Amino acid sequence: MATPVIMPKLEMAQETATVVEWLKQEGEHVEKGEPLLAVETNKATVEIESPASGILAGIRVKPEQVVPVTEVIAYILQPGEELPREAEIISLPLPQAPVPPPVRATPVAQRMAQDRGVDLSTVVGTGPWGRVTKVDVEAALSVSHLAAGVRGEKVRATPAARRIAREREVDLSAVTGSGPRGRIQAADVLAFTPAPMVVSEPVAEVVPLTGVRRVIAERMATSAQTTARVTLVTEADATAFVEAREQLKADVADEWGFAPGYNDLLGIIVARALREFPYMNARLSDDGQTIERLAAVNLGMAVDTERGLLVPVIRNADQKGLQAFGTEFRALMERARAGKATPEDLTSGTFTVTNLGMYDIDAFTPIINLPEAAILGVGRIQPKPVVQDGEIVVRQMWTLSLVFDHRLVDGAPAARFLQRIKQFIENPYLLLG
Amino acid sequence: MRELSYLEAVREALRQEMQRDERVFIIGEDVGVYGGAFGVTLGLVEEFGEERVMDTPISELGIAGAITGAALVGMRPVGEIMFMDFTTIAMEQLVNQAAKMRFMFGGTIEVPFVLRTPAGSGTGAAAQHSQSLENWFVHVPGLKVVMPSTPYDVKGLLLSSIRDDNPVIFVEHKLLYKTKGPVPEEPYTIPLGTAEVKREGRDLTIVATSIMVKRSLEAAEQLAQEGIEAEVVDPRTLKPLDEETIFRSVIKTGRVLIVHEACKTGGYGGELAAVIAGSEAFDYLDAPIVRLAGRDIPIPYNRNLEYHTVPQVENIIEAARRLARGGV
Repeated sequence: MATPVIMPKLEMAQETATVVEWLKQEGEHVEKGEPLLAVETNKATVEIESPASGILAGIRVKPEQVVPVTEVIAYILQPGEELPREAEIISLPLPQAPVPPPVRATPVAQRMAQDRGVDLSTVVGTGPWGRVTKVDVEAALSVSHLAAGVRGEKVRATPAARRIAREREVDLSAVTGSGPRGRIQAADVLAFTPAPMVVSEPVAEVVPLTGVRRVIAERMATSAQTTARVTLVTEADATAFVEAREQLKADVADEWGFAPGYNDLLGIIVARALREFPYMNARLSDDGQTIERLAAVNLGMAVDTERGLLVPVIRNADQKGLQAFGTEFRALMERARAGKATPEDLTSGTFTVTNLGMYDIDAFTPIINLPEAAILGVGRIQPKPVVQDGEIVVRQMWTLSLVFDHRLVDGAPAARFLQRIKQFIENPYLLLG
Repeated sequence: MRELSYLEAVREALRQEMQRDERVFIIGEDVGVYGGAFGVTLGLVEEFGEERVMDTPISELGIAGAITGAALVGMRPVGEIMFMDFTTIAMEQLVNQAAKMRFMFGGTIEVPFVLRTPAGSGTGAAAQHSQSLENWFVHVPGLKVVMPSTPYDVKGLLLSSIRDDNPVIFVEHKLLYKTKGPVPEEPYTIPLGTAEVKREGRDLTIVATSIMVKRSLEAAEQLAQEGIEAEVVDPRTLKPLDEETIFRSVIKTGRVLIVHEACKTGGYGGELAAVIAGSEAFDYLDAPIVRLAGRDIPIPYNRNLEYHTVPQVENIIEAARRLARGGV
């Protein structure tokens, strides 16, 4: 088989070599490894060895001819072998870089690209079959050289502007920059006010959110946002309760110096129920990891004052008789309304009772006074027709709403607690038990 | 307070420290009988004798080698190289020997010398006698680089430098020698690595070194008449650098102009800009950091060309105005 003799690549960057002279003649026998010819590169003259033993034939290059590397320059034939038929025409193809597919572009786009030095292969064509049009070249030219290759729209803003935008939660893409090349400056962000979403009504009076108002705002919001509130509503027949209160009023008012009210009686009842149901007299620990059942029953009684809602606390309410409870409650209420409540008066509550019955409210769902587990909302006592023993009768009815935090207490236990309060109201003598 | 020139303040610091510490001596070309090329050491040879104010042959490498050796054996030499340009000849001793020894001997030795040298253009001394090469030394770990801008600073910083246990390159400025300012008579020190706000302002921070502090202050006065209040911060020591003072000022103003006389490319301004951009002050920058520095050419002999080669007051005003008014 004919062995081609190839112009070798002798150096890294060599592309051609010049033939100096053939050391063997056409038809001469050569041994593998014997020098065939001398070639000259940029750096040296080198002898090329025969790749095989045989007869040198088909020499295709002459001295002083510049030959690309890898080109076939002759053959070594075995005895009786002939030159390959294509020997006169074939040559091993030069390795070449892959030719990129031609870019489709309109003639005007090609001319613009050439004039303005735009590499069309980097331009995304938007014409038919992806053809690059004049518009595409113009778009490519509008992207500055430095920003070329940056993906997406990037807002230009100084670091200070970016910081202020972060702090004020301003979307920089909505801000107009006044700096060089439209760069957004700190002042631009400061001056930027997002367009109001709704036209606000004229304000008649501005009340600063300070003091008690601020505390209420924060605590109510926290409670509303963090507790798992469930409201239980029940109606108690308060006829006996009202009678008992009327009787007490007649009997002890002079001696005690005050007439016991519904709140006093209810306070005693709730305190007693809390002693019986300690899981209602509980709170979530500060770290939120445990439920703490509290040793004392400290009953908070919500009071409306000029400064806002205050909740004075009757400590150890379950240990107190009606007279002691009522006396203390009145003293606390007086101090609260006079703005003289001490911190001690207003802290350490374990459960709260809030009564809006005097304003003809039937029922409502108060917000739990954190960190307590529940709050009792008290409506008005009102004569209503009810069915008793198959007859419609008029009774003094009282709506009670228990709002509890389901994180600490489940529904049924909470219902049992409210039911117990209802029992005490309907049968005040049970308090003797 | 009594006023002294910058030159007199240098001399007073040398005299007072030589009186206080007998290990301190001066060595350099023409520092003795001639009193120094700029007259800094005038009169000192008479007071302290030729053993403590030593004239040398013209060999900057010899001066650097002598102070390195003397420092190693317990002296506290103050070498003088007549022009900063010729510290290039002393580089081997300064960079390969003095700067390295404390580290290579595991901290067991100290190299407490000061190499004083005047830098800067403006005297018509041409390309080989006008350079500001401070950043060559900033780049070398083991060397401290001090660049005072006022008579007060030069005295306090020179005393600190002589008392420092490391090699200190102390860069004075030829044009500052004649400037006057209040200088206390008693010896005092200014800790190395403490910058000073030379002028308070709200609109931009100019960080300037050496004579550029003086020019920046003059520029700031004129800018104030246009309603632009520039804060001028002088690092005073380039290494170690008091970054905090600079950051605090940048956070306040949000705009920074760095001014130095040395060529811009590879100059200290690049270091300062990078330090600022890499700090918490970055988030307060409301414009790119601007450098105003010497042109990247040898200082020309022609006085007009020399003048326009390094930043002048009007250049600082223009750059500051542009920066403060949002033109950058």
